[in-house]
Amino acid sequence: MIEYLVFAAVFGLLLLGLHRKVIARIQTRPGPPIWQEILHALKFSFKSTWVPRTASATLYVGIVLIGIGIWSAAFFVVFAGESILILFAIYMLHKVVEHGFGLSSGSPYGKFGGVRSVISAASEIPLFVTIAAIYLLTGSLILRDITAYQGVHGPLLFIAPPFAIAMFLVILSKMPYGPFSIVESKELVSGYKTEHFGVWRAGLAVTEGLKTFVLLYAFVAIFIGAVPFWAALVIMTVVLISLSFVCAITPMLSPYDSVTIQGLITGLMLVYTGYLWWVIP
Amino acid sequence: MSDIGGVDLFVLEFGDILHYFTPYSLTLFIFALIFTVLVIVARPERQLDIVFGGDAYYAKKTPISERQFRRFMAIACGLASMGAMASGDIFNYTLFVSMVGITNVGIVAAVKSRHVLNAAYEYGIVAMVGTLPLFGGAALILGTTGTLSIPALATGGYAVPLVAKILLALGVTGEGMAPFYAAKAEMFRAPGAPYVIMCSLSSLLIFLRVVEIVITI
Repeated sequence: MIEYLVFAAVFGLLLLGLHRKVIARIQTRPGPPIWQEILHALKFSFKSTWVPRTASATLYVGIVLIGIGIWSAAFFVVFAGESILILFAIYMLHKVVEHGFGLSSGSPYGKFGGVRSVISAASEIPLFVTIAAIYLLTGSLILRDITAYQGVHGPLLFIAPPFAIAMFLVILSKMPYGPFSIVESKELVSGYKTEHFGVWRAGLAVTEGLKTFVLLYAFVAIFIGAVPFWAALVIMTVVLISLSFVCAITPMLSPYDSVTIQGLITGLMLVYTGYLWWVIP
Repeated sequence: MSDIGGVDLFVLEFGDILHYFTPYSLTLFIFALIFTVLVIVARPERQLDIVFGGDAYYAKKTPISERQFRRFMAIACGLASMGAMASGDIFNYTLFVSMVGITNVGIVAAVKSRHVLNAAYEYGIVAMVGTLPLFGGAALILGTTGTLSIPALATGGYAVPLVAKILLALGVTGEGMAPFYAAKAEMFRAPGAPYVIMCSLSSLLIFLRVVEIVITI
């Protein structure tokens, strides 16, 4: 089992490296090598590590383990084909992990990252509408059943494309350097990540790698259906590159604009879900 | 019963009231438990504030009396969240949700900061107003179906009005989810994590549970 987790974390970090590379090339910069995020994780693993004097030590350390723990659980939920409601819960609870990272150190930069994380809670609502609509269409939230439904009716990407777009935006809101990345924007140094260094930062990198892998794999499983594993990896890479294009050409929104846009997306999704509910017998 | 949260792992009967765990509700329960333990064992952070107009900064300490009260309220909030995750009865669930709202105000009520106290007051008003649709939704469900047991309602033999589900979800949203959460974000400025984190965690957990309840019944 552990080898699957390691593969997911490493591949996720590779995708994040590719993300930086694509953004750099679009902005006519050479950019870092695509394995840079893996090197970062390894480098931080061997750097000197301690706990800041102002930190809540137990929370400061514990939150790293919780972050790795919840995304490891999400990985197994997706691979076992269990309820995507659990994946939804973990996605939302990741917000609390961001709060924990930001607030545990006592740093004002981390604190503002944490406060912005609360404000950006609107990004989770489109995911809720997407999941409700998937239940409306397929009659189940178990990933195995959703895959089986797509085996009969075709990919949900073509049956209900607005929900695929909503999920795409949900993943976009968690991508670094994106329009919704207000929790780690540069005026806050690194936002909620600012005060975690050394091996704690390596743990955070593993969390990020796992999160990226799980969200992209879930997107493929929910909207494309059952495909061979190598094909899933290729589709994940294509989806990631499309996310990188969006990140490269869009400026970072202000916190309130970010919430407004996510609210508007939710409103549109609700209208579309209402329409589906009306027309589906 | 619909298995949107996975198959039942555990059921405890109290007469006609059931408490149960699905993989979904168990995940949420464990998360609440972990953070409640963290609140019990962790010392609070000492928030650094920068003095404008100079290079100085100072660390805020949480006094022991304030820490004891906030820790108590945070533990109560964790217990209420765990109750809301395990409950199989809509009325019990709404009671736990109301308790979460009260304890959230309590967690920051001892902080001596005008800004934080104003935010807590505003949140308290929104949460109080939120209890109207919350209990209204539960009352409508009882009035139309004659039961508040989630497993019984999930069997499909009852026609739960859509408006009751909407009211229930609206009531929980009023306890601290978007778009009624602006004051809660300001409450987060209070020093003393992990206590303030319970404010956010409890809101997320009760919202996640109401999603399951609304889809199930």
